[in-house]
Amino acid sequence: MEDTHYVVLKKENFDQFISLLAQKQKLVAPVPKGFKSFAFEPVDSASQVALKYIPTVLPLKKYFMPQRETLLEYTAGKGVKAEAVVEYESLTIFGAHTCDLAGIQCLNMVFSERPKDYNYLTRKNKITIIGLECNEYCDEYASCNLVDASFPGGGYDLFLTDLGDYFIVHVNTRAGDEIVASTRSFDKTELSQLDELRKLRDAKRKIFVNEVPIETKHIPELFDRSFRARVWKDLEARCLACGNCTNVCPTCYCFDVRDELDLTLKNGIRYRVWDSCQLEPFAKVAGGFNFRKERSVRQRHRYYRKFRYPVERFARYFCTGCGRCTRTCMADINLKETLNELLKESEDRVWKRWL
Amino acid sequence: MKKPKVAFFDFACCEGCQLQVANMGETVLDVLGLIEVVEWREVMSEKWGKKVDVAVVEGSITDPHAVKRIKKIRKRAGAVIAYGSCATIGGVNGMKNNFPLEDIKHYVYGDSHRFFPTEQTKAVHQVVPVDYFVHGCPVYIPEFVAVLKAALQGIPYYPPDYPVCVECKLNENVCMYDRGVSCLGPVTRAGCNSWCINNGNICYGCRGMVSNPNEKGAQDVIAKYKIPMELVLNKMNMYNKCRELD
Repeated sequence: MEDTHYVVLKKENFDQFISLLAQKQKLVAPVPKGFKSFAFEPVDSASQVALKYIPTVLPLKKYFMPQRETLLEYTAGKGVKAEAVVEYESLTIFGAHTCDLAGIQCLNMVFSERPKDYNYLTRKNKITIIGLECNEYCDEYASCNLVDASFPGGGYDLFLTDLGDYFIVHVNTRAGDEIVASTRSFDKTELSQLDELRKLRDAKRKIFVNEVPIETKHIPELFDRSFRARVWKDLEARCLACGNCTNVCPTCYCFDVRDELDLTLKNGIRYRVWDSCQLEPFAKVAGGFNFRKERSVRQRHRYYRKFRYPVERFARYFCTGCGRCTRTCMADINLKETLNELLKESEDRVWKRWL
Repeated sequence: MKKPKVAFFDFACCEGCQLQVANMGETVLDVLGLIEVVEWREVMSEKWGKKVDVAVVEGSITDPHAVKRIKKIRKRAGAVIAYGSCATIGGVNGMKNNFPLEDIKHYVYGDSHRFFPTEQTKAVHQVVPVDYFVHGCPVYIPEFVAVLKAALQGIPYYPPDYPVCVECKLNENVCMYDRGVSCLGPVTRAGCNSWCINNGNICYGCRGMVSNPNEKGAQDVIAKYKIPMELVLNKMNMYNKCRELD
């Protein structure tokens, strides 16, 4: 901890800090929406910001891969002319929890694969991220420890930890350094304050334990055994295929690309919009055949896309434990429960083989 | 290029969807740059009566006269766009089908009912083939424009076949069920950009149901939130009664 760069933001300077950030460029932060819901929205003063919040309705991906984004402008007809378009704006995100930071790290890997997605990468480079530590669980739906996302693991410019009268701030990048220098809201760290941070992290290690009784590294094996599990059939009856679980997921990045002509029927744009593997038309192809007609198969696909497939491709889980999919599901499809049931079922089978 | 001829027709409806189109603001100029409107009772006096490239039909089919008229319109139209819930799913007129026709006739027309033959309410596609659907009560103008463009290009338009929840979630609304209010969003076809919920109202299901709804699952959800099934069925029948005739 000593050799890295820490500063202190006193609570009395917090208002000023937020105002200065908002003056610099567009600032977004978690804002209460009522009914235990929060959303990242533009703010210009500290009074709007919720420092204690449960994961927002939509994750940060809405800033990194907008719901609708123009990729190309073209003129149709003879001698088609087309020009690539990249839409971006300078943006500061304040208050990202570690689960959401992990989500952005996942998306960064996906969109950096070749062929690189310059729309995403250009936009990402214009976004400054200020993280905020969870000192305790947000609610019973989170499973961040299971996927190693309950402690800061990079992916931010500044990272704030609330220690009562002050925040201790980890400065992680040059952009973070510049914010510290330009806002002049920060003080030097005293050793006792670093001690406090260490104490908090120790306390957190006692609070945050794997939310499902399995060692993190054993999850892929569990999924290797579970492709034909009964659990998926159970989900068939419950899932409404509303797509909420994927839309609110910080790492679901599937999109659809569409063309649209304007009213001259000559000039058009090509744009992409969010799509979801849970929706009826997602795997429907020409001729009307649907590769994933059953909702159980779609739900299974979603779980494998979080816990199995990305392990092979990106060497990390694409679940960040934020709990959004469970919180949003009207049919009470619960990620922790599903994993527990998979475990139980798989253990039953192992025992049967032994007996 | 000669502009395609487009005619607007109405059957049993409030003509509110036509009003939506007439009120679309600046876009109407661009639309008029693209088409020639030859018949439209609500906004012009001229009649055309001959072949048209696109017929835009509002309202549901509720009596023998309407059946004849829509068949004629179908014959002289290249493509038929059904627009508005009354035309695409029967809409609120479908509530008529909750009662025996005889009762309805007596209730509405009293002793003169024999002068007013009537039938069960039907959506337009339940009487003649329809090429394009613009769902909604009223229609959502951006979708109407998209469908019109598709019709003029001769390409298909697929209304979204997923629930309103998708768009509602993208708009980051607080879920109506979290507010303790029942909402038909989870089983209703999207495409309206969750218009009503964005403005604090619930979804009434005016765009019809998704093609493959999980009805059992939806019932479980309704039970979980302790909403009386009767209430939900009533809400469902407000717009979707004609679904039984599909």
